Amino acid sequence: MRARRELAVFILAVVLLACGPLISPLVHLDISILSEVLVTTLAVLSVNLLLGYTGLPAFGNAAYFGLGAYGAALSVTYLHVDFVTAVLAGAAAAVAGALILGPFLLRRRGIYFGLLSIAFGEIFYFIAYRYTDVTGGEDGMNFPRPPFGPGLAHVAIHETQFYYIALVVFAVAMIAFRVVVRSPFGRTLIAIRQNEARVRYLGLDTDRFIFVALLISALLAGVSGALFGLLINFAYPLELDWHQSGNFVLMMILGGAGTIWGSLIGALIYVIGKDIISTITPLWQIFLGALFVACVLGFPRGIVGSLGALRRRRPVDPEDPVSSEAFDAGAPVEVGRGV
Amino acid sequence: MLHDLVPQLFNGLVLGAFYAIVAIGLSLIMNLTGTINMAHGSFMTLAGYLAYSLVLRGTSFWFALIAAPLICVIVGVLVERTLVRPLYKREPFYSLLMTFGLSLMAEEIFRLIWGSNGVPFSPPAALAGATSLGFMAFPTFRIFIVAVLVVAIVALAFFLTRTRFGLRLRAAVQDTEMIAALGTNTQVLYAVNFGLGIFLAGIAGVLAAGMLGLSPTSGNALLMPAFVTVIIGGMGSLFGSIVGGLLIGTAISMTTLFIPAASEVSMYVLMAIVLSVRPRGLFGEEGIFG
Repeated sequence: MRARRELAVFILAVVLLACGPLISPLVHLDISILSEVLVTTLAVLSVNLLLGYTGLPAFGNAAYFGLGAYGAALSVTYLHVDFVTAVLAGAAAAVAGALILGPFLLRRRGIYFGLLSIAFGEIFYFIAYRYTDVTGGEDGMNFPRPPFGPGLAHVAIHETQFYYIALVVFAVAMIAFRVVVRSPFGRTLIAIRQNEARVRYLGLDTDRFIFVALLISALLAGVSGALFGLLINFAYPLELDWHQSGNFVLMMILGGAGTIWGSLIGALIYVIGKDIISTITPLWQIFLGALFVACVLGFPRGIVGSLGALRRRRPVDPEDPVSSEAFDAGAPVEVGRGV
Repeated sequence: MLHDLVPQLFNGLVLGAFYAIVAIGLSLIMNLTGTINMAHGSFMTLAGYLAYSLVLRGTSFWFALIAAPLICVIVGVLVERTLVRPLYKREPFYSLLMTFGLSLMAEEIFRLIWGSNGVPFSPPAALAGATSLGFMAFPTFRIFIVAVLVVAIVALAFFLTRTRFGLRLRAAVQDTEMIAALGTNTQVLYAVNFGLGIFLAGIAGVLAAGMLGLSPTSGNALLMPAFVTVIIGGMGSLFGSIVGGLLIGTAISMTTLFIPAASEVSMYVLMAIVLSVRPRGLFGEEGIFG
């Protein structure tokens, strides 16, 4: 019953999104903005897996996002690869980055993990910034959008085609994400979020679980970054910066931490809101900052999380938070220091 | 190149002193309340701009050096009481995110008031020029910076170890509930502690404005090295922050001299090495932040 309803929601959402190119002219939105929403959702999902489900403050995911963008940009520029290969190259670059950083990040938990993520992520920012000969430095890299690739070697990808490619990747990622977080592996991640010590006592090597979660997260962020680079035909160092990581976390909180659809809602509001507000006023950053403050102080469950809580009208079942859909990751936790 | 070595080493140590004092301010706030203050750099920038405006209106540099940080403290404590306080009971990343938002807003507000470009803020005539140290000449202002930062750190250490209030602060870091149960108003502790961190940031901000320049993002440029300092020195250890800051300053200045392209990356490499050997940082304490 439950699974059937979920499937219905999923199909409805995909059908709605598939109508995007028809709807967008009516509301004066560029189709590439809708593509950006779908692409960004993947990066928000990557933060969600670590922060919303596993409880690790992932403030460095822009590193993997940016590695994805640069992986695509470099492979297109220097190896003249096709679209599909460029995305794979971006994803591979991001996973490689996580493989290198993982052993260091795994050394700590809690907010310390967040600090390490921010700090280590900056390495890639400075590499992109400094190695001007290869990466174009501060100016970034312009690169053309290559043809699709296998079987469709000479099919050029225009904005509408790009949107449908992004939609397919988005749909696959959402299904995969759902499968992962409901699998025994995903349940273990949630258990780690709730009480890592207890999971250890059960004999599970939590480091290994977190490492795999980190790799999956990097994969998602890398695909997102590669598609984003191919969408705007540009890769620039700020994609790797921790401000970008902060934006992903904001989108996750906005939509609802630990909820699958929250990532899409958060990305949708953020990307479209940014597009609208930044055309009205150059002071976009003040709105963004205020949104951070307001979200954290007044709306920590996010949109989907709050809706879920409303619908249930009861506290989240601590025994089985996932089956109660929007579980409690975003809500105030009565532990922590300085109470 | 070798005759540049000693001056460059000294420059590195001055830079390291900045990192140390910013890191100490961050640590103070982090240790007591678990708040990672991403707006710390904004308070430095604010202090710099306030000092700039004060000097522009005719006050002396010396007055600005004290007044600007104090105004920052007032702003900081207001922010702490209204915006940070509700987050103490939540997981630390909420306050990180909130203060990150504050820093975004602050940056744009600085741009509105003082313009996007950097503004010139030079030290007073008394501190201009260079002083001979016997074996080499070194800019007087930098010597002054080191002196002020050392005095500030010593004063802080004295405050924390030799006064009753400092004692309570340190006790609260160990066990907040216990100190509250013993009748100390912990909210006062939080506010004063936050103000103290901001005061250090303010002083560093004014001095940094004179040495490193002043622009809407200048304070944030010191924030990341300060985080790395905290990680290298070990969370919860003020002494660690000092050692960490000086280490990073030296590493950056040396790589700037020999491998300029790697100057920013060097501190992260240092951090990776330290973490591999000592996951808690050089002087990190057991138990704090797991």
